[in-house]
Order: sequence, then structure tokens, then C-alpha cells
Amino acid sequence: MQHYLISLLIFTPLVAACICLFLPKKFEKAFRAVALIVNVQQILWLLPMLVGFRASGMFQFVERSNWITLNLGSWGVLKAEYLVGVDGMSLPLVALSVFVLLIATISSWSIQKNVKGYFVLLLILNAAVIGSFVALDFLLFYLFFEFMLLPMFFLIAIWGGPRREYASIKFLLYTLLGSILILVVMIGLYTSVSDPVASQGGLLVHSFNLLHMMEPMNFISNTILDPNNPWQIGWFNARYWAFLLLFIGFAIKLPMVPLHTWLPDAHVEAPTPVSVILAAILLKIGGYGLLRIAYPIFPEAAMHFGMFVGIMGVLSIIYGALNAMASKDLKRLIAYSSVSHMGFVLLGAASVTEEGIAGAVYQMVSHGIISAMLFLIAGVLYDRTHDRIIDHYSGLSSKMQNFTALVLVGFFASMGLPGFSGFIAEVMVFLGSFRSNATNGVLHESLAVIATSGLILSAAYYLWTLQRMFFGPFHLKANIESDAIVDLTSREYVMLVPLAIAALCFGIFPQPMLDMIDPFAKYLTALVIDHGKAITLNP
Amino acid sequence: MEAMTQHTVLFCLGTSLSLPLLSAMLSLVVRERYAWIVSVTSPFLMFVAAVTAVFVSVSTWNEPSLQFNCAWFQLGEIGVRAGVLLNNHTRIMLIVVTTVSALVHIYSTGYMAGDHGLRKYFSALGFFTFAMLLLCVADNFMLIFFAWELVGFSSYLLIGHWSEKPEAAAAAKKAFIFNRFGDAGFLIGMLLIAISRNTFDINALSLVQSHNILDTAAALCIFCGVIGKSAQFPLLTWLPDAMEGPTPVSALIHAATMVAAGIFLIVRVHFIFTPEALNVVVVFGALTALMAALSACVQHDLKKILAYSTISQLGLMVTAAGVGDPSAAMLHLFTHAFFKACLFLGAGSIIHAVHHAQSKSLTHFDVQDVRNLGGLRRDMPFTAIAFLIAGASLAGLPFFSGFLSKDAILSAVFNWTNGGTWQYLILINTLIVSMLTVIYMFRLFWNVFMGEFRGAAELDIHEAPMVMRGPIAVLMICSIWLIVSFSPIHFDGWLYSGLNTTAPHNTIIVIVSALWVLLSLLLAYSFRNKTLQSEFLFRSFYLDRVYSATIIKGTSYLSQLTTKTDVRWIDGGIHLLAYVQVTVANLIGWFDRFIVDGIVNLFAWLANGIGAFIRSFQEGKIQLYVFWSSIAIVIFLIWTLF
Repeated sequence: MQHYLISLLIFTPLVAACICLFLPKKFEKAFRAVALIVNVQQILWLLPMLVGFRASGMFQFVERSNWITLNLGSWGVLKAEYLVGVDGMSLPLVALSVFVLLIATISSWSIQKNVKGYFVLLLILNAAVIGSFVALDFLLFYLFFEFMLLPMFFLIAIWGGPRREYASIKFLLYTLLGSILILVVMIGLYTSVSDPVASQGGLLVHSFNLLHMMEPMNFISNTILDPNNPWQIGWFNARYWAFLLLFIGFAIKLPMVPLHTWLPDAHVEAPTPVSVILAAILLKIGGYGLLRIAYPIFPEAAMHFGMFVGIMGVLSIIYGALNAMASKDLKRLIAYSSVSHMGFVLLGAASVTEEGIAGAVYQMVSHGIISAMLFLIAGVLYDRTHDRIIDHYSGLSSKMQNFTALVLVGFFASMGLPGFSGFIAEVMVFLGSFRSNATNGVLHESLAVIATSGLILSAAYYLWTLQRMFFGPFHLKANIESDAIVDLTSREYVMLVPLAIAALCFGIFPQPMLDMIDPFAKYLTALVIDHGKAITLNP
Repeated sequence: MEAMTQHTVLFCLGTSLSLPLLSAMLSLVVRERYAWIVSVTSPFLMFVAAVTAVFVSVSTWNEPSLQFNCAWFQLGEIGVRAGVLLNNHTRIMLIVVTTVSALVHIYSTGYMAGDHGLRKYFSALGFFTFAMLLLCVADNFMLIFFAWELVGFSSYLLIGHWSEKPEAAAAAKKAFIFNRFGDAGFLIGMLLIAISRNTFDINALSLVQSHNILDTAAALCIFCGVIGKSAQFPLLTWLPDAMEGPTPVSALIHAATMVAAGIFLIVRVHFIFTPEALNVVVVFGALTALMAALSACVQHDLKKILAYSTISQLGLMVTAAGVGDPSAAMLHLFTHAFFKACLFLGAGSIIHAVHHAQSKSLTHFDVQDVRNLGGLRRDMPFTAIAFLIAGASLAGLPFFSGFLSKDAILSAVFNWTNGGTWQYLILINTLIVSMLTVIYMFRLFWNVFMGEFRGAAELDIHEAPMVMRGPIAVLMICSIWLIVSFSPIHFDGWLYSGLNTTAPHNTIIVIVSALWVLLSLLLAYSFRNKTLQSEFLFRSFYLDRVYSATIIKGTSYLSQLTTKTDVRWIDGGIHLLAYVQVTVANLIGWFDRFIVDGIVNLFAWLANGIGAFIRSFQEGKIQLYVFWSSIAIVIFLIWTLF
């Protein structure tokens, strides 16, 4: 059992989805029950992993089996494996996904339209998300990565708001563009990397194994991405181009300014649980991909473009925050705040310091928890009135006291109040970006100083929203019925309170999660810097 | 008293820290119906916390500092430890915070009786006390920053307590955002220091002395935090606005404790400030003291006068810390906390009483406007006496605690002015501020308590209930000189000597300062019927207008710009791309339909045409067949024969 935990995590939802397909459409309760059982079961399988995980930079719970082996004659052997495992970055993200998916399922209770289709897609999405966080083979990763698009597209396009067609197609095209860039690099890497173990004896075995790709020794000489002698294409060599393509591909997912405009539209149109999954989990795959694939495989490019990545991070922080301030729709505001907060992930990664990278991972988890809470908050209001325009409300605190209390918690957590997880993450990112100049010279200190303005801006837009919507005399726009404004239901408590507690726990006691993340951060930093230097020094 | 064991000390500290938190939690779990329970338990818990804190502070006074900590979390190479440090500075703060907090809790049971948000109120107040105590006893920067932001958060909640009032909501927002500006600086400074020394621990940091430009920068960044929290120039306008909160809150948070946290921070980490940084600190402190004192002279709102006075006094403390005598700042912090809390609670009593009377008489006027008050000495003699004593202390009259602490500051500034001319400007500034203090305080007292009542109607005003008078009485007693020193003219008493400081006491300064205050009093009395009108000072130098014209306008312009960029440029570009793609697709479709299909159709049409033509030869009429066959034979014959 211990050895198949990851596979169980991935395939349980898939099996459940198949079972759901064979159930008659009218069994609406059954689909909800199946989804809930799957989520609970996943948590049960996650627990031994969390307990058994040992803090080190190594992959654990690794499962490996042959998947595709294709002899292409003089072009060598194509080899792709089913290789999955978790390390200090992926385990927290897997745990986050499982936790958030459970809450998203509970939040999906209110879905009335085509329940069967909805839950089947949700289960497929579940499997794809977990799969992309644990895949260690590029082809496998790509498969899961692409597989997420399909359910997501339909979840927005069918269950979404009035402009759902526009939003879903925008989401799909944007993300597909990113996928194609990643695909190009994957093919390049495939042609350039050989499996060191299987290739002995004159047989050339091309590998999709990410771990092999991280080792410069495994590159075949005079191939396009050979670190010793990469091809020169235009201004940069091929490896720099490859890094940039990967960077753009994952930055779309993150999302990074100016590739972010799919996000607000997708969020505004998506139903609440889908927004929660999108913000809390799917965005993280962008950051995850950068740190899992782009950084370790192209370390010298990561160092070379570090300043650029950092500037884009700071730009995202400030641009997203400014946009949030101008948003009239509560959900749009939260979506832009996501852009702003994911900028910290970029800044932390760009610093290539232990603190910065650990901070980036911490920020991903923390933002996953907090943004899930914020989108649920927007959903609470939308469920009651079908209106999210900030100016249509005033003085909600007098009618919805407990809701206001949880909104306060969510907003202050998101603006990085100490005691919530966001603060720890932001401090680590700042620390990393301050330290970067002294340790590896990638970032300039001024970037971190400029980024602190994001703290002020986030306070400004959240507090302004609180002031407009929740404080002041109670007043609603004419066409909203004031009878609809009632305080939280018990199902809403069940969703919001655990998230609030999680944000608090990780804010006050960060060490358990840092214990997981830190060895990974240390390992990745050393790898990027050592390999980066080694590759750059080569003639 | 014999030395206590470390465990006892730790236990007492833990008790006085956790009881406020317990009070906050308890207030949240109590049902709305039983909200009155909160107004019993909270003051009681706070009272116990105060007794414990005073006991532990007094009994370990002048003992060497104690530090307890444990590992908290690891930030890369820097291990962050959470812990407490108990030294004389901490002990003073413990006494101030718990005592004033307990008194304010007791007072609030009267002042806030019947309020709808009683649980919310006491919960936030308890949480504030906890965070403030944590800030005082924290032994490292990280924990201080934690508590620093949490007191800001609880201040936000309490300013916005009456959140249905739009002004209260706006003031709460403003206070938090202004503080955020400072906090961003504080965070940068803290991280800069932590990176260069690899620790957040203040004791460890104090062992490493270095003075380079980076240290100055870091110190100034930390000073930004002080500017925000202690409402110094240029972030001072949030404090007068914060008076929208309930008056006991103003007394506790915006006069006695939270705003003094900035001063405490400078005192605590004074070693970090390089001489250059200290010069900047002095200038900001002096400027703030003067600006706020001038503004206080022209305000009409009872609470705003006190708020500006608080800013001015905080400016004096910053000046004292800047001239290199943090102990004088600490001394003034201590005395100020009591007399200013007393003034605020007194003001609260006045507002409470006049408001009650007003609501009975169905008239309406602004009860906080001193122009509407007057003659209250007859109806509220107790409050008048309390106000007189605390006001005298604030004005710095001899035999009151304020006289001694102001004396300490004057001595510190005087001792520091050995060098350049600008330093004399600071000294003169300090003297001017102390004169202005007397003037605005006298004006306030005269307007409120002397003369005749100027309100709209004859009101039936009564003294506040016992539960509100009690705390005022305690604070009033704490405003006399005995709290600082046995000698009424010598500030170097039991308190000051415990602060390991060296500033010598100067008898000349005592005499000059006493004469100066009496002169100011004379001046104030002779100008008692004159009122100074200045919109410029009333609006505190138009700082808010400057901010709204620059920062707020700039930010909102930028945010509109980013939205426009998103909609017009980025999405516009994408839509253009989509449009181009659709157009190209249409073109290709057209090409397919008309050119490719056209050619195919052309061939089909040709074949069709030829077929039709050929078919026309075979009409089925025998005559035609004969005709065509004859022609064919003729052609054939011609062909073969020629």
C-alpha cells in the first residue's frame, strides 16, 4: 500500500469518474456522494504520506514503471516512463490540492444543472491536477497538464455566468498557447537528452525523465540544447530560448502580467467551486512548473534572466494590485489580487536563494488557502443576490455579522497580516530578494523595496472594499431584495472556517511546512547555482 | 523584596499576557443575549492581569534583564526565536499597558453600556491589550513586527467600532493604510538588519556595533515604522481622524499605549540608530511637535485637541530619543500615558454626560465642539478637578509628573546642543512647544469648564457614574509628581535612575522651565478671550489635501490606467489577434469556396458543357442521325480524298 499511495491518489478519482458515467442521470445525490467519498479517501491516503515524508531534497514514494518504449532505429529509442514521486515542493501542493478539492466539492452542492456531467468533470480534473504535481516524466507531466484544460473548459463553458463562452474560449486559447511553447521545449529536450542507464552499449535511448534532464552530463553532445555547445538562434543560444519559452508557457498559467487577462474573465464567469479550484490549485501549476522544470533544467538561463523574471514579478505585484483597486466586481478584484500575490512567487523564484524559493513555495500554498477562502466569500454573496458589484452594497456588517468577521479574516490574511500564512511567505520572499544581490548577484535590492508597495496597495484595496460593502449604513441597490441578505449557513461555515484555521496555523506555526519545503529549496538553490556556474564557465 | 525565581517571573508574565487574550476569546464565544457577562469578565480578567504585571515588574525592578525564548521557525540561515525579554523598559511598559488597559476596561463598562457591539468591543480591546503586551515584551524584531501589525489591526477594528458611521469606517481605513506605509519601511529595515547580522534577536544585535551607510538606511527604514505608528510628520493626520472611535479606545490606544509603541521601539533598539539617523529623528520629532501643537491651538473638537496634543507630545518624545536620551523619552511616555488617558477619559465623561442630557432634551448640537460647551465645572465638579490636574500635568506645571518628564527632555536637548546652531533651533522649538502646550490646554479647560454653558438649551447634565469616575480618579492620582520621583523638582527619581542613563540633572533648567510655564500660563490667561482662526492650521497644514492630490489621485489614476491597459491594449490586442485570425480564416474560406472550389467547379462545368454539347448530337430522331451520318461520310470522303 505504502508504495502505491501516489497512484491511488491519481487513479481513484478517475475510477470514480468512470463509475459515475454508468450511473443514471437522475441519481443526483449519488454523484455528490461519490465525489465526497473520493475526496475523503484521498485525504486518508495523503495522511501516511505526510507522516512518512522525511525532510530531504530527495523524491519519495517514487513509483516507476515502463510506459512507452519505441525503437525508432537510427533515431534511437523513445522512452517514456510512468514515473511519479513527491518532494518538499510537490507534497505541500498535493496536500493543498486534496484539501481544496474537498472544499470545492462541498461548495458544488449548490450546482443544479446537469449534476452528473459536472461531477464527472470535477473528478477528471482532480486526477489531472494531482498527476501534474507528482509526474517526474516530462511526457507524463505534459499529459496531465493538458488534461486539466478539458474539464476546466467545460466547467466554465457550461456552468459559468453570462459571458461564459467568451471566458472559456479565452482561457482555453491562452493556456493552449502556453502548452505549445512547453511542447516545443519538450521535443527539444527529448532530442537532446539520453537516458544514462539505458543508453549503455551503443544504444541511444532518448528519455523524457525530468531528473535526467536536470543533469548536464546527460545531454548528447552537439544536439540543439547541449549545454556545452548549444545552437545559436538569433540573439540567444537555444537553451536561453528554451528557458524563455518554458517561462512564458508557465507564466501564462501563473499568471504573469501582461499574460494575465484570461484570469479575471475566467474567474468572473466560472461558478464558485471552479473559481476556487482555478485560483487555489491551477495557478500553482505555473509556479510549480517553473521551479520543477524551467529552473533546474536551464539553470544558467535562469540566472541570466533572473533580473527579468524578478522585474516581471514586481510588475505583476503592483499592476495586479492597481487593477484590483479599480475593479467594480468583487470577484474581479479577488482575481486581480491573485495576480498580485502570484507575483511574489515569481520574485521569490527569481532570487535563486534558499529563502526566496522556499518563500515562493510557501506563497503558493498560502495563496491557495487564502484565495480559496476569498472566492468562497464572493460566492456566498453571489448565491444570495446574484450580484457582485461592490457599489451595490453598503453596510452588510449589520445584517451578516459572522460573514463580515470571516471576510475580515480573509481580507487581512490576504493582505499579509502577521499571524496568517501570507505574511511568512512574503517575508521569506523579501528576505530572499534582499539577499540575492549579496549571494548570487541576480536581483537588485531595489526590486524588493519596490515590491513592498504591493503591501500598501493590497491594504488599500481590501480596506476600501470593506468600507464600501460592509461598513456604513445598510443599503442595497434597488433590485436586490434585502430578505436575501442572511448570515452564513452551516455548509458555508464548514467551507470557510477550516480555511481560516489553516491560514492561521501556517501563519503562527510555519515550521512544520518549512521543514518540508526547506530541504527542497536548499537543494534547488544549490543545483541552479552550481550547474548554472558550471555551464556558463564552459567555453 | 527577595529575588523571584525565573519560573515565577515567567509564570506571571505568561498570566498577564494570556489573560487579555482569554478575555478576547471569551467575549467572542458568549451568546449575544448574555453580552452583559462580557462587561463583568473582561474588566476582571484585565484587572488580574494588571495586578500580576505590576507585581512582577515592581518586584524585579532594577534586576538584570531576563530573557526566555524558544525556537520558532527557520528562515533559511536565520533562526527566528520567539521569546520575551524583561528589562526595566519592558517593566515600565508592562505597568503602563496593563494598568491603563484595566482602567479603560472598567470605564468602558459604563461608557459603552447598552452598545450593540459590546462583545465585539471587549474582544477587540482584549486582543489589543494582548498584542500590545506582546510588542512590549518581545525579544526579537520578528515578534515585535508581528505584534506591531496586530495592534494596528485591533486599532482598525476599534476605530471602526461604530462601523455604520461612514466617518468611522473611513477613519479606520485611513489609520491602517497610513500605518502600512510605515510598516513597509519597518519591514525593509528589519530585513536589512537581519540580513547583515543574520539574526532578529535584539540582544544579539546590540552586541554588534557597526556604523556604515547601510546601517543608517536600515535605521531610517525602521524609523518609518515609528513615523506611522506614532503619527509623526508626514503621517500624522490619521490620529485626529481616529478620534471617531469610542473615547475609551482613544484613551487607551490613541493616547496612552499604541501610539507610544513607536517611541518604545526607538528606545528599545536605540543602538541601531547611527548619529546621522538620529539627526533625522530629531528633526522629524521637533517638526511634528511644533506642527501638532500649532494645530491643537486652533481645533474646536474636544477630542481632536487632545489628539493633536498627543501627536505633539509624541514628537517631543521622538526628539528626546533623537538627541540621545531615550530614557527621557521613556519617562515622558510613562507620565504622558497616565495624564493623557485621564484627559481622554475625562473628555469621554463630558461627551457621555452632555450627550445623555442632549438626547433627553431633544436638541441637537455637536457635543464634542468646545464652542458649544462651557461652565461644566458646576455640573461636573469631579471631572473638572480631574481635568485640571491632568491638564496641569500635560502643561508641565510644577508638582505634576509632566513637569518632571518635560524637564528630563529639556535637559536632554540642552545637553545635546553643544555643537551647531541648528541644535539651538531644536532647543528653542522644544521651548515653544512647551509654551503652546500650556496655551492650548488652558484654552481647552477654560472653554469647557469656565464661563457659561453655550449649548443650544438648558440641559440637565450629571456627573458620570461611579464606574467611570473611579478609573479617572486613579489616573488623576497618577498624574502628580510622586509617581516618578520623591522630589517634585528632581526628575532623576526611582524611575529614571532605573533606565541606565547618564543625562545629568540641571537645576537651572528646572527653574527656567518652571518660570517659562508660568509665563506661558500668564500669556494664555491674558489671551483667553481671543480665538485664533486659521484654516491652514485647522486642517493640519493641508497635509490631507496634499495626499489626496498626489498619492491618492496618482494611485487612482494609475489604477484606471492599468484597467484601461488591460481592456484596451492587452485584451484589445488579443481581440485584434482573434479578429485577424477570423478574417484570415474567412479569406481562406472565401479562397476555398471561390478559387479552389471554383476551379473544381469550372472543370465540372466544362465537363458538363461538353457533355451537353455531345449529347445534343443524340436527340433520338432518325432524320437527324441520317443527317449527321451523311455529313460525317461527306467529311470522311473529303478527308480521305484530299
